[in-house]
Amino acid sequence: MKVADLLAARSQNWAELQHLCTIMDRRSKSRIPPEAINRFAALYRSACADLALADAYHLPPNTVAYLHQLVARAHSQLYRSRGIDLGQAIKEIFVNTPQRLFADNALRLAFLLFFGLFFLAYYLAFYMPEFADSVINFDGSTTQTDSLREMYSHGFDDGRDWWQSSSMAGFYISHNASIGIVCFASGLLFLGVGGLPTLSFNAIFLGAVFGYMDTTPQAQNFSEFTTAHGPFELTAIVLSAAAGMRLGFSLLNTGELTRMASLRKCGRETSPMIAAAVVLFIGAAVIEGFISPSALPYAFKAVVGAGSSAILLFYFIFLGWPWNEAKAKPAPTEFPAGSWEYAVSRS
Amino acid sequence: MSNLGQQFDTAIDIVTPENIAFQYRLAGPFQRAPAYVIDTIIRSTVIVILGCIGAIAVQSAAPLLILHFGIEWFYGGVFEALWHGQTPGKRLFRLRVLTIHGQPINGVQAVMRNILRAADMMPAFDAARDVPVFGQFGYTFQLGILSCLLTQRYQRLGDLATGTMVVVEEPQRLYGVVQIEEPEAHRLAAELPAGFQVTRGQARALSQYVQRRRGFPWPRREEICRHLGEPLRQKFGLREGISYDLLICALYLKVFVEEHPDYLTSQQPPISAPNLPPEFRR
Repeated sequence: MKVADLLAARSQNWAELQHLCTIMDRRSKSRIPPEAINRFAALYRSACADLALADAYHLPPNTVAYLHQLVARAHSQLYRSRGIDLGQAIKEIFVNTPQRLFADNALRLAFLLFFGLFFLAYYLAFYMPEFADSVINFDGSTTQTDSLREMYSHGFDDGRDWWQSSSMAGFYISHNASIGIVCFASGLLFLGVGGLPTLSFNAIFLGAVFGYMDTTPQAQNFSEFTTAHGPFELTAIVLSAAAGMRLGFSLLNTGELTRMASLRKCGRETSPMIAAAVVLFIGAAVIEGFISPSALPYAFKAVVGAGSSAILLFYFIFLGWPWNEAKAKPAPTEFPAGSWEYAVSRS
Repeated sequence: MSNLGQQFDTAIDIVTPENIAFQYRLAGPFQRAPAYVIDTIIRSTVIVILGCIGAIAVQSAAPLLILHFGIEWFYGGVFEALWHGQTPGKRLFRLRVLTIHGQPINGVQAVMRNILRAADMMPAFDAARDVPVFGQFGYTFQLGILSCLLTQRYQRLGDLATGTMVVVEEPQRLYGVVQIEEPEAHRLAAELPAGFQVTRGQARALSQYVQRRRGFPWPRREEICRHLGEPLRQKFGLREGISYDLLICALYLKVFVEEHPDYLTSQQPPISAPNLPPEFRR
């Protein structure tokens, strides 16, 4: 068969495959008639065969380049990523993740570091005013402590109007969650300890603020303000730092995997952690914007604080507890459906 | 992983489940930068316009701030998840994110690789960091570029952690067999011996030359074709002084247009894709 004839015979098929790819790019699969999908599969197989035999057919190089592009395009239509499996996602969020977190040394380390430094700074600031001064006025000014006292000198009788509450909630979401994400991402730097400066700074600064405020006459107002949103916010920063740390450590302690494979596996495993941290940051921001500064009675704010603590305890301790040893083992890494390498690596 | 051993330029082989190897061209950091700039412009514009409209509508700065957070961090992830690895900027420059096995990325990979850009953007000028919207111009992207330079698939840190890579989708047109107008070439083709077969390499060289010959002046064509033309002239016993360019064209006509040995009778069909999956190749 002559190349010219072959091209004349096949170019029709290739153009049709090209056309079907364009249609599939634009429309959802469910709206494409089944005959067209069948036809697509057949055309894809024949294009694959043509590419495989391109050399033997003596196809010109630009035709081969065209076939490479065509097969690639059809391939990415045929082997698409699976949509999110709801049952799998729920199992991942409520079973696998808490258990992984419960046994996670990075999380324990981040937790101890954060609250260790927090209470250390608290007692130092409480008993040594000059320590509080130097930490809170870390930028060299002398006004931070004054403005803190000023901020909490009013009671909560007036509450806040809609503009203030919602704007502050927006600010907290944008600002705090961004800090969390950056803290997570910088865990990848410096082999896992990249997020620790952010974590330690926040622990020492917050500890100093708490310690300092407890020595001032505004202590009552301050603790009333922080009660409701504290549990979510502090947990979120610890969680994001721990996720970042895990990511960095996966490069050092690779188990039996290569360094890159270990990093990829850890990337999959830490994604629920950072998602949880972002959700907590947003929850904390909404509480901090609308409930904490409002004129609601203190009892209500305390109930919100206790309730959010209970949710966290339920998630991290109750769901995470290795109730039965077999379940406590980390779940095998999930491969996406249609992942043929998986089948190969198992055989 | 091990199929990287044969990679010597930006082309990367993907072996499909059908055991066919096809090629993608990887996109380097400087090919990706224009797409990122476009995305940044789109992002900032949307944040400012929608944010201001929202802020006026609900009488609060919250929409502006929340949009800033949501769009800054999740714009890339959401688009790449919904548009099969493309953002508007990537679509404009024909880039696509795929897994390192050449398959489309899933939502988790899309969001994670975009969140982890925060690490790739380091180090940053401290002064610029806290400026909303324009703050991103304070980032130097040095880590991302360094990581791209050190990895064979031009992966930044976010790509490494999620197992993704960025490829270029070059649009290709299908050209048919080149038409040769010179009647002399057709006459010469008839004179060539009937049973003559070319090797694969010769066939590739023939078609490559004939596709491009129109761009060369006459003396240059002769010069290029002499290396193949002279031995062929002697082999076929043609007269001296013949135009080598036309001889090559005649051979092209013979091989590609007028007659072609049926591959099935002359040899076994070759297998161009390896039988071993790439994991086992060394």
